[in-house]
Amino acid sequence: MRDKRHPSLSWALVVGVLALLPFVTPGTYVTGVMCFVALYATLACGMAVLLEQAGLFSLAHPTFFGLGAYVAGMLAANEILPPWAGIIVAAIVVALIAYLIGAPLLRLRGYYLACATFGLLFIVEIVLAQSGSITGGHDGLMGIPPLSVFGFTLGGDLDYYFISWGLCLGCVWFFSNLMKSRVGRAVKALHDSEVAASSVGINVPRCKLHVFVLTAIMASLAGSIFCFYLQFTTPSMFGFPLLTELFTMIVIGGPATLHGPVLGSVVLIWLREAIHVYLKDVLPKLTAEVDAVFFGILIVAILIFMPEGLAGSLDRLAHFVRRHLGRSS
Amino acid sequence: MADHPNSVLLDLKDVSRSFAGIRALSLVSFSVERGTILSLIGPNGAGKSTLINVITGVYAPHSGVIDFEGENIAGRTADVVASKGIARTFQLEELFGSMTVLENAMTGCNGKSRSGMFSCGFALPAARREEERIRQEAIESLALVGLEERAFEPISRLPLGERKLVGIARALCTKPTLLMLDEPAGGLAAHEAERLVSLIHLLLEKGLTILLVEHNMPFVMSLSDKIVVLEAGVKIAEGIPEAVRNNPRVIKAYLGQEQ
Repeated sequence: MRDKRHPSLSWALVVGVLALLPFVTPGTYVTGVMCFVALYATLACGMAVLLEQAGLFSLAHPTFFGLGAYVAGMLAANEILPPWAGIIVAAIVVALIAYLIGAPLLRLRGYYLACATFGLLFIVEIVLAQSGSITGGHDGLMGIPPLSVFGFTLGGDLDYYFISWGLCLGCVWFFSNLMKSRVGRAVKALHDSEVAASSVGINVPRCKLHVFVLTAIMASLAGSIFCFYLQFTTPSMFGFPLLTELFTMIVIGGPATLHGPVLGSVVLIWLREAIHVYLKDVLPKLTAEVDAVFFGILIVAILIFMPEGLAGSLDRLAHFVRRHLGRSS
Repeated sequence: MADHPNSVLLDLKDVSRSFAGIRALSLVSFSVERGTILSLIGPNGAGKSTLINVITGVYAPHSGVIDFEGENIAGRTADVVASKGIARTFQLEELFGSMTVLENAMTGCNGKSRSGMFSCGFALPAARREEERIRQEAIESLALVGLEERAFEPISRLPLGERKLVGIARALCTKPTLLMLDEPAGGLAAHEAERLVSLIHLLLEKGLTILLVEHNMPFVMSLSDKIVVLEAGVKIAEGIPEAVRNNPRVIKAYLGQEQ
């Protein structure tokens, strides 16, 4: 039998809650944190598609996020291009870079691909840090203007909140359409069996490259918005710590779904905020160590007790409730 | 070019392939005529699956010509060979385990559909229309092999015999001219094998040309128009089933084991 669910209902619910959230929470604190949640969620979502659906163990995501931030930021800070055009140019530049490095690297499999992209992560971070005259080096890129579109300057947290969540939900929607289409089937097919995928006419290397470039573009868009929101970037924002955070989000949320990584981003960032707020007074010098230990334990607990992540457990709960209600009515 | 371009569909000339110095195929030549069924038999390790892999582009031949519809396809990649009209099933199924039966068949339509990443991602009308066409074609293929009832089940829930049929349905979705079946009857129960025989007859009636690799001798003898026998990568006999059955070299190499 076909499973008849109503995705439009859950979409309406999510969009409704997110649209109301800034207006029912006091001040701009929640709105500001939720901007980061949305941008990291966009990144995590694309990375989960690569890891879980396409089976491409690529660790280059923080790099594309960082390049998106730096290219758009540098173009705007030096007044070469208006910020909105910088976002587009950054996406094109990142797409080209992803294409050029993807073409040779995606021929590697499994751990080899992971090693090569892991190397890229460090190379780009070092290059950004050492090219002080154009990137600002270790101290970071300053003087990035706020985002402005056709004369409207987006200054407040609220503006970035809507842009960030627009991008995030847009990407989730795009991927959910894509994964149900012929392209999504090709991606899953090459993960399941490359030889069978090519036997039905799928150009396996090209398909891998396309999905790799697509997720890189989305990472770049998130990175560009990130830099205009902060108006400041440093190379260390896009290095190894971000990679571990993305992994944590994906594992907590559940890699097999598209909403899982978004959920993971919400949970990780808010738990960390909570830890920082409550430990600030008790252990002022240890918060970073405490949160590393805490998330380490959380990942292990999730892997043991809910290997499909929060999204997997929630889906099962929803299924159970639906069946239960269906029976009693 | 073949002498009779209208009757010869696939023509192999002196096809060879080695792996690490071991000759898996050595100067193999034969041709398959349009609308007929040719069976490839031989003992284990004779090079039957290697030959299928060389024809379909999984491996490139080291020498020789593979003429398909008048074009040399030797050395082309598997997806290009598939787009020319050669489809196959696999000895070890190679189905897409994360998908349902219908999605497996729909994936077979991939080479013959065009919607790109952006029209699919934004669910543009053209992509949705194509998706509907793909779904219809996949359902038709599943109906042909008698699996439309199982369309929405995950692959893992199907018994072996039905999984083999999913592989055939997926191959049919590529709209092939030549269908290669790699041990389709392996591990099937008697009633499943009968179902397979009638399916193969149906496909021949529809104008398909079939290249069959099979171990089940009664199955091969009853179905084939022509049989090619391989032993250690070399063609040792070729002809109608009667001739091959009585060929002393074949009896020694292959049938002898079973008698």
